[in-house]
Amino acid sequence: MSYRIFGTALVLGVGVLLAAASAVRGGDPIDFNRDIRPILSDRCLKCHGFDEPNRKGGLRLDTREGITAPAESGVAPVISGDPSTSALMDRVSHADPDLRMPPADAGPPLTAAQIEKLRAWIAQGAAWSPHWALAKPQRPPLPRVRDKEWGSHPVDRFLLARMESAGVQPSLPADRRTVVRRLHLDLLGLPPSPAEVASAVDDVQPDWYERLVDRLLENPHYGERIGRIWLDAARYADSSGYANDKVRSIWPYRDWVVNAINADMPFDQFTIEQLAGDLLEQPTIDQVVATGFHRNTPHQYEGGSDPEQYRVDRVKNRVDTTGTVWLGLTIGCAQCHTHKYDPISHTEYYQLYAFFNSDDEPESWAVDGEKKTTSLVMQPLSTPRATHRHLRGSFLSPGEPVAAITPAALHPFQAQRPNAANRLDLARWLVAADNPLTARVIVNRMWLHLFGAGLVQTENDFGSQGALPSHPELLDWLAVRFMTDGWSMKSLQRLLVTSAAYRQSSVRREDLDSVDPTNQLVARQSRHRVEAEVVRDLALGASGLLAGTMGGPAVFPTVAPHVMGTSSAKHDWPISQGADRFRRAIYTALYRAEMYPLLSTFDGPDRDNACTRRNRSNTPLQSLTLANDPAMLEIAQGLGKRLLSEHAPDARQRILQAFNLCLGREPNSAERDSLVRYYQQQLAHYATDEKAAGELMGPMFGTVVPQSALAEAAACVALGRVMLNLDEFVTRE
Amino acid sequence: MTGDMTPMQPPTNADPKRTGLLQATRRHFFAQCGVGVGSMALAQLLQQDRCTVAGPTDTSANPLQPRIPHHTPRARAVIFLFMAGGPSQLETFSYKPKLAELNGQAPPASLLSGKRFAFLKGNEKLLGPRRPFAQYGQSGAWISDLLPHHQRVVDKLCIINSMQTDVFNHGPAKIFLNTGSSQTGRPSMGSWLTYGLGSESQDLPGFVVLQSGPRGPRNGAQLWSSGFLPTTFQGVAFRNAGTPILNLETPPGIGMQQQSQFISTVTDMNRLRQQTVGDPEIATRIAAYEMAYRMQIRAPELIDLSRESQATLDDYGVTPQEPSFANNCLLARRLVERGVRFVQLYHTNWDHHGAEEDINTDLPVRCQQVDRPIAALLTDLQERGLLQDTIVVWGGEFGRTPMGEERASVGRDHHIEAYTMWVAGGGFKPGIVWGRSDELGMGVVENPVHVHDLHATLLHCLGLDHTRLTYRFQGRDFRLTDIHGRVLQPLLA
Repeated sequence: MSYRIFGTALVLGVGVLLAAASAVRGGDPIDFNRDIRPILSDRCLKCHGFDEPNRKGGLRLDTREGITAPAESGVAPVISGDPSTSALMDRVSHADPDLRMPPADAGPPLTAAQIEKLRAWIAQGAAWSPHWALAKPQRPPLPRVRDKEWGSHPVDRFLLARMESAGVQPSLPADRRTVVRRLHLDLLGLPPSPAEVASAVDDVQPDWYERLVDRLLENPHYGERIGRIWLDAARYADSSGYANDKVRSIWPYRDWVVNAINADMPFDQFTIEQLAGDLLEQPTIDQVVATGFHRNTPHQYEGGSDPEQYRVDRVKNRVDTTGTVWLGLTIGCAQCHTHKYDPISHTEYYQLYAFFNSDDEPESWAVDGEKKTTSLVMQPLSTPRATHRHLRGSFLSPGEPVAAITPAALHPFQAQRPNAANRLDLARWLVAADNPLTARVIVNRMWLHLFGAGLVQTENDFGSQGALPSHPELLDWLAVRFMTDGWSMKSLQRLLVTSAAYRQSSVRREDLDSVDPTNQLVARQSRHRVEAEVVRDLALGASGLLAGTMGGPAVFPTVAPHVMGTSSAKHDWPISQGADRFRRAIYTALYRAEMYPLLSTFDGPDRDNACTRRNRSNTPLQSLTLANDPAMLEIAQGLGKRLLSEHAPDARQRILQAFNLCLGREPNSAERDSLVRYYQQQLAHYATDEKAAGELMGPMFGTVVPQSALAEAAACVALGRVMLNLDEFVTRE
Repeated sequence: MTGDMTPMQPPTNADPKRTGLLQATRRHFFAQCGVGVGSMALAQLLQQDRCTVAGPTDTSANPLQPRIPHHTPRARAVIFLFMAGGPSQLETFSYKPKLAELNGQAPPASLLSGKRFAFLKGNEKLLGPRRPFAQYGQSGAWISDLLPHHQRVVDKLCIINSMQTDVFNHGPAKIFLNTGSSQTGRPSMGSWLTYGLGSESQDLPGFVVLQSGPRGPRNGAQLWSSGFLPTTFQGVAFRNAGTPILNLETPPGIGMQQQSQFISTVTDMNRLRQQTVGDPEIATRIAAYEMAYRMQIRAPELIDLSRESQATLDDYGVTPQEPSFANNCLLARRLVERGVRFVQLYHTNWDHHGAEEDINTDLPVRCQQVDRPIAALLTDLQERGLLQDTIVVWGGEFGRTPMGEERASVGRDHHIEAYTMWVAGGGFKPGIVWGRSDELGMGVVENPVHVHDLHATLLHCLGLDHTRLTYRFQGRDFRLTDIHGRVLQPLLA
């Protein structure tokens, strides 16, 4: 079952902006995919679509032929150019509820506006075009724009063309400090140091920004930042899930992702190694480790469970994940029945399933003999399993046998050995030049990361129930460029972040909020809370506690007593000591049954299925975490120590330094006054209560602080704690 | 009800300059968020603003401030017991002797026409009720032997045996029961209520989500999302293992006075930032910090069940420190007692297709987990005088088919045409059974109740006109009931 996010809203909102609403007036041209397909998909296709066994009256409205050919009744639903004799119009507008379509039990009748659109469409010749996402993207020409200066970058040209036709101006560029911090958060997930900000601000060269971008793309922490997004899609975790949530060793796969991204491994190769590295000729150890992608499935080990049932569940998880991550299709909907909206039949689901049905899943595979490191990987069975269709989705009801092949509605499939197609063939098919989906889906997710929302809002559903792209030509232009550019992710990111659009201010504009409340025109940048991991990493970075060590087994950051170990899995959480205590959040142990609380409180995903977009809630529980959690307090102590030791005992200097470290900018006078007041207040309090001062400082300061400076140290911790709790601190502006 | 209509006291010292800013911020907040002109909430806010100008008492920028409803409410709070997965009405409240008679036979074609199912292919046979039923209470309502404690409290219930919904897959159907739309992105009912009415609790979130059962509900936070409403109206989910709320204690060396100064400074700084960047999300964060502070004071007492008598713990079946649906029921009472507007309890794994979730063996376990706590909750609410203005709602995203499924063991498919939910308290007639499905339970033959109708009626009881509780988003006024919904007057006392 698929359904789309903000479906109606999008049609309404973008429709208005695109002047779609006016399309029905005065014979403005109807665009089938924009105006008509959503109506058919929402209101007709469940019974008159691709799903043949459940199709009613022999009528299908999802193909050109179906729309114009006579149905069982002998009548063609649409007579091109003649709405008055088209049966479709008669049925949707029929006065008798028994004859009207859709029937009463399928919801309300079509609205007058919808009926009018259908009428205009038929009158204009009933043009039909395939679902946009299934047609191969072509590189469109750059549109004409009036503002030649803003529109000099290809990305900006497409955006500006839409803005100009909507009568909207782009926002001013954000100031340098904001852009520097934005870029650090987006590409590294770490705050810029005051020195880095200063050097960017002072850089008089015209290409200061481009050089900064290049530097960040070469920083090894880039792989951790972007890799984490991929690990969400890969549903990476350090435990098996289910009730006993067994701890597993698969971190070498996590490190493989970070390294591959740092090396800018082309996305086609990145795909092939993860789906089928083990099937390459003489694969390297790394290429086998990469197949951990599909060993990240939850795994049921509980006694008494039917092992075959859970193996089948894992295979289905692999099919569904592959569909979401590469194709942006809700393939999982076809597990039990043919997809109601998109052209994936029940049989085709099991044809995809067949690619993943002949693997061994070794419990331990040696990555490195000496260190005894193991990782979960895929291995082909020597004798492939036969695959059958599962009637009604049940593995206990095998239907006819099926062979591994890809859905017919997509581009052609070629196997090395036609009778023994395998994962490697599937992987190559996913990144084939004529695949209409993969490049668009990946480009869109990268856009989502850098602009806060996708060009296709339903980043996990490019099917007919998904949202239409806000800028279809831009999406296609980027997708084609991504492929012809050798699938370089760094190059794609460099292109996007060097646009004027990316560098715009994110300050809200009243004129925009009325016409474009969800910022589909991208006439300003997005201002949004950073992800859970970045919350921690930012705090570690600003405090100076961050341990930059990369890779290796998971670590166990500070947590309050009796918080972990409460699930049925009874996990140990031996809090890491030394530098390991302050590693980036990507290295925090991810136990499915018991997530590290900061990660779940800030909308970390459950990791059972691919997560392609993080939720961004804003709750009092998050405030409690930032304000009171022992792990955050420890970081505030580190920050306080830094503020105490790096500067002379001057409140203003310390506040300036705190701002530079945490926000990458200087305070304005109102902000400074507020913090000076607070600092003096705390200083006075802790001067009278040395015991409280000592408690607040914790063990972090050691014995270096003289008795006379206790209150100052405590006030610095208190100041640091305020900084880590500011909205701006956890926000990418 | 302990909540009252006095404005909240923020944990900060109000100075006149800031008060003006607060008001400006609030107007900005709602204007930015596009509350439609003529919508109730904005009108209320403006009225409050005028009051503030006239008198110095209101210094609050709290979007959860209690607001005056459209008409005199019968209820002030809702406890929604969401049985995630779709509980079988045919083994609980909807007694079908004819179905027992025709067990194993093909269903009559006349009853199948036009019906849509998720998994059935059309060749399945009728499956008679798996449990014995009897009539109970003054109302003589039929209840199966799976719910012995419900049998005791049946005269408090208004059982609706004619529920209908639009979608038959779990995710969309759950979203539908919460938001009136099967697509994500719309506000859930708890968000609509806190948007429309504010919250009577100044110390706890207005909309709280509690979870229990073998796993979390599918779709997770989308189910209690505020959609396009400001995020301050989203549900706040308590943890379902260990302690329900973490970090309620201030760090060592920080007393409540320092905490107050801390929150006050953070708030000041956030407000300054909001003046610069105009992001309404900052208003949500400001409200979240103020709420967090008040939760620190009130929540420890809330979640400490040790003050409850042993008799109460036994009635609910609560084992302290052990998360369960029973714990959540008791917590729900404590939440509404403290003025929380909407408490939603999810209890999972009611998807009895067969196999793992077998209707013969697993459904009894699920029923046993909820039966006693629910009866205890209703009795407890009544004894405390809370049931009269608290609506308790029980049900899932859909029901289950009269036909059995051919799986590894016995089960039923999703059924959207006729299923059972019940409501109690808060102005609903106690001890009645409403609506009727045909003798096999295939479709409704008397008094159908659509999810939109239930929404309209619940809002009505809470003093809200479902056609006037609107929010303008992208040029359109949205409602919980979309363009549908009837208030079911015959169900109201």
